Amino acid sequence: MAYSEYWNPKNETLPREQLQALQLAKLQRMTQWAYARSPFHKKRFDAAGLHPDQLKTLDDLRRIPFMTREEWMESQVEQPLFGALPTTGQENAIRYHLTSGTSGRVPIRVLDSMKDWEWITEMWCYGFWGFGVRPEDVVYFAFGYGSFIGFWGAHYASEKLGALVIPGGAQTTEARVRQIVEMGVTTVCSTPTYALRLWQVAQELGIDLAQSKVNKIILSGEPSGSIPAVKRQLEEAWGAKCGDTAGMTEVGTIMIFECSHQPGGTHIIEDHFIEEVINPETGEPVPYGELGERVVTSFGRGFIPVLRYRTKDMVLKLPYSACACGRTGDIYQGGIRGRWDDMKLIRGTNVYPRAVEAIIREHDAIDEFQIYIWRNDIRDEISIKVEMKPGREDEWPALSETLAHELSSAHEGLRFIIELMTPGTLPRFELKAKRLKDERPVAVY
Amino acid sequence: MADTDILGTTLTPMEQETLRAYDVLKQLAARDDLPPCAARNVRKALACLWQATNDLDLQFEQLYDLGV
Repeated sequence: MAYSEYWNPKNETLPREQLQALQLAKLQRMTQWAYARSPFHKKRFDAAGLHPDQLKTLDDLRRIPFMTREEWMESQVEQPLFGALPTTGQENAIRYHLTSGTSGRVPIRVLDSMKDWEWITEMWCYGFWGFGVRPEDVVYFAFGYGSFIGFWGAHYASEKLGALVIPGGAQTTEARVRQIVEMGVTTVCSTPTYALRLWQVAQELGIDLAQSKVNKIILSGEPSGSIPAVKRQLEEAWGAKCGDTAGMTEVGTIMIFECSHQPGGTHIIEDHFIEEVINPETGEPVPYGELGERVVTSFGRGFIPVLRYRTKDMVLKLPYSACACGRTGDIYQGGIRGRWDDMKLIRGTNVYPRAVEAIIREHDAIDEFQIYIWRNDIRDEISIKVEMKPGREDEWPALSETLAHELSSAHEGLRFIIELMTPGTLPRFELKAKRLKDERPVAVY
Repeated sequence: MADTDILGTTLTPMEQETLRAYDVLKQLAARDDLPPCAARNVRKALACLWQATNDLDLQFEQLYDLGV
């Protein structure tokens, strides 16, 4: 059967001028709704001396004050459980989720109504359809199905678009590998880290996943889904195309996805979001091609409106023309490139974990790694602990030298200590990988 | 019923039909004489139609007051 290439042909190919007119219309209605029904937003608008009726052009968006995670957390603490953000009562909710806790002390708690949930799954439909998932596909979720939102929306999206869905919930990695092969799975959804882990375990079981029916891997949950070396390793190992997506609990779903043309980045779903890129220090917008911080305004979940939310995600926006697929949604080249607050300062040099990973993953003999930062007397040190793939141990002497040189060259001559670890000693991850360990003492005053 | 979408473009026959179905479901959801099996399934259907009409720019509204 011939399908449209686009999930929503009308909006995904809308000329930019009309797309922006649509964004303005939705912005006006969403801000009016938030002002009328969310005490949190009303207070913020009033404090800025702004009324939603004053938003006449898309540029007026910048008059809305930034919304931060800290404000959200404070509101939850002052008024448990959900703060002053919700626009309606809990009786209208059908789902509850919370953030995974990778940043911040208080998890962000969210509620969704029936239509909010429908919208959340819809955004995943844009992404899955865009990457080529069709009703004939068999989709596998290597996901624990807990309170963290993770792939929940993607699961329901796959049902909605008519695919056969296999929830690979609480079971061992070995059992998951066998299920993927046994059920003729065509599409696997997982974090990049866990997709590698599945492949490693398959190897141990003597199963060649490149010979399985899997032809698509949809990645989410970690910035490494768009690191070329990670994708290359995964695509070679699985014999399948890898597509990146990124979302966040705060909006409930994905905002960006890689289409089947694989342009080296992810399209923004601009009929449902406004994505600004700003200089994180000045708050001013940065032009195309310049690294900045993502600020998201969502037109989806009306239960807890998200207006100009500072994500701390590091992105670089390119015009939609950077991809030949015909979509008019702009692109984040390299997806989410990390977080501004992930940066570590080591002896005056900025170190970003994603940049370190991008270098490490160029060496496919490396099985697992950890970035370890500690203090030696008064001096900060950084080590890379490395496990080699079985059968590749002979490459270690040359590899460790090359890796130390490459990392140092990319970081103003900073010395990286490269350490060989016994296989199986470094932690493995199913959801978001935590490969950075910073054991420097925190100063107490 | 509106004859244009949010951007002011005239609705196609398919869009008119879709919007009509959405409006019918909204009217049904507002009734208080539906048995639970109808009341809940109508709301579920309305949530789906809300999404379709939202994607097609036929409406952009909230339905919490209908429990959706």
